[in-house]
Amino acid sequence: MLAVGIAALLGCATLAAMPFAGVRLEGTEPVLPAYAAGLAVVEIMTGVLLLATLTLSRHRAVTVVAAGYLFSGLLAIPWAISFPGVFPALGLDVDVQSTATLAAVRRLGFASSLLAYAALRLADGPESGRGQSKGSLLACVFAVAAAAVAVSVLALSGVGKLPRFMANTREVAPLWSYVPAAAMTLYVLTAGMLLAARRSVLDLWVTVVVFTLAMELFLLSYVAGGTRLTIGWWTGRVLGLVSASMVLTVLVSQTAILYARLADTTARDRQDREARLTVMEALSASIAHEINQPLSSMVTNAYAALRWLGKPEPHVPEATAALQDIVGDGHRAGRIVEETRSIFRKTGGERELLDLPAVLEEALDRLRFDVARAGVRLAVEPFRGPVIVSGNRIQLEQVVCNLVTNALEALRGIVGRERLVTIRCRREGNWAVISFADNGPGVAQPQASRIFDPFFSTKSNGMGMGLMVCRTVIEAHGGQLWLEPDAGAGATFSLRLPALDQGRDGGRE
Amino acid sequence: MTSATIVYVVDDDDAVRASIDRLLRSVGHEVAGFSAPQAFLAAPRHARPSCLVLDVRLPFMSGLEFQRELALLQIDIPIVFITGHGDVPMSVAAMKAGAVEFLMKPFRDQDLIDAVHRGIQLDRQRAEAKQALDEISTRHASLTAREREVMSAVVSGLMNKQIAALLDISEVTVKVHRAQVMRKMGVTTLPELVRQADRLGLPTPKA
Repeated sequence: MLAVGIAALLGCATLAAMPFAGVRLEGTEPVLPAYAAGLAVVEIMTGVLLLATLTLSRHRAVTVVAAGYLFSGLLAIPWAISFPGVFPALGLDVDVQSTATLAAVRRLGFASSLLAYAALRLADGPESGRGQSKGSLLACVFAVAAAAVAVSVLALSGVGKLPRFMANTREVAPLWSYVPAAAMTLYVLTAGMLLAARRSVLDLWVTVVVFTLAMELFLLSYVAGGTRLTIGWWTGRVLGLVSASMVLTVLVSQTAILYARLADTTARDRQDREARLTVMEALSASIAHEINQPLSSMVTNAYAALRWLGKPEPHVPEATAALQDIVGDGHRAGRIVEETRSIFRKTGGERELLDLPAVLEEALDRLRFDVARAGVRLAVEPFRGPVIVSGNRIQLEQVVCNLVTNALEALRGIVGRERLVTIRCRREGNWAVISFADNGPGVAQPQASRIFDPFFSTKSNGMGMGLMVCRTVIEAHGGQLWLEPDAGAGATFSLRLPALDQGRDGGRE
Repeated sequence: MTSATIVYVVDDDDAVRASIDRLLRSVGHEVAGFSAPQAFLAAPRHARPSCLVLDVRLPFMSGLEFQRELALLQIDIPIVFITGHGDVPMSVAAMKAGAVEFLMKPFRDQDLIDAVHRGIQLDRQRAEAKQALDEISTRHASLTAREREVMSAVVSGLMNKQIAALLDISEVTVKVHRAQVMRKMGVTTLPELVRQADRLGLPTPKA
């Protein structure tokens, strides 16, 4: 709506300016640096912001349009400096063709980047590739800057060898007419492709930009007849600046909203995690107390028995009573352990029918930011179709989270090659099998046999409860969790759960 | 050997209480066990050196709260705390409030026995000091009004002549009263009398 409104408004401004388009405004050269500075800042910032969003979003098309913005913004600077009559004080005696060449390269370059963006949007799916690394983004920035500098140097130094775009400092030569024609063609193509591909907010705004650029060009080159510093020329320029500012505003607000949401999600995640931790702490404290009581009286009774027997005249009945109490307390401690186990089993009792792929997806969605932060590529080979299991959603999600988090931590030390976690889902008869493979250092043999033991951890900050709890949960669901013995490089954990439907030959009932 | 003493044990866990009872009896203590602080308060208490072994974690009232309540009730008994999950601030609070010892379950037998011995020792000293004070008070109460005046004057450092002038009596009479005071208070020297006056809270030059 807003986009259409703005486009309409700009269209009206164009129409309003048309009757006076040819009127020359003398002495407006000093305004030009201000306009160019504003344009350069807006375009460079837009480019940088777009690049920054790439660390989270996954569209390589965005890289192209960001590069276009950067290139165009950077070229605005030499364009303004070389503009005839703008900086007479500097004593720059620049060829009139330099300014025009820069303008042509800038316009066609940006138009091409928009076209490339539209083409990539059409070619790619909604989500392709992954977040770009900071290194590749920096390389992109440097390449664009280098290209801009190279073009500027060529245009400013190539006096006499440049194409004859200008007849004099104001009027264009016949050769110029190819430039707006080419740009217009690019704009029309881009707009057409974007309207076909329209998927994101950015697509919509790029369409608006294309529209205003076309409007600007129409005013500049056709209505004002390509003559500089006329009302039509200035209106076109201002329209371009306004539309560029708008895209920037939209981008900034979108980024702010995204960040607010991200912060919100992160805070909620942390709360969840802390709540879980507090429950664990309370539970373990109470279990510790319950077991410590019989333990304490056993120790004290043993001491007492020793003392009664160690007397000059040993008092056997007292010692016997103490030993009998020790036996009783030993059994009591055993019962407490058994009860604790059954408590864990009971919480697994709140079962419902679940679609396992949905549970997996939900869990992976919660880990999205952790995966991105760890610089890990997550490849998922999903189940074909729904798989119904009976289980506790929260517990199963926690198992997935635990296994993926373990994999992420195993990959922390990997430098110089891709960090990859692969999740493969498959059916084996009535079993639904999910395996979690990482390409990290793997699990050495002596540790492999103990990895599911409680309080066993290879991590310096681990409690050693994670894998044990995972195995307990999966076994309480009638399944198994194991470490694949020979999975090649890295570690692969697999779990299987009984599926309630009949798999491929399902539908018998 | 210590049948004139008694150890009270307050712990809600029957097995723990029984084991402590058995251990302390093995070294000759008489033990009385209670499952709750209220039961301990309701039971008749013996006027002999005693010590309280108190669990920190009790239903309805923590051991530390019970320690404060005993102080409010002016029941002066040395306390040995035992706990399954004590932390440093908790033990500091207990010790500051006058606990003898703070033991973590399971504890070494010797640690508990030593702590209980120390508690009983402390209680015995307190009882003896209290008994001595009671005796002095009784003796002081047996003095006549005039003898009490003379005693106050003597311990405040006045000479017989000054006391005679102060009370408007003859110096001989002062000497007679003074001899009576020394006899009734059961002392033979002036420093002893001054010490007793000090414990009774009478003004003395030292104070």
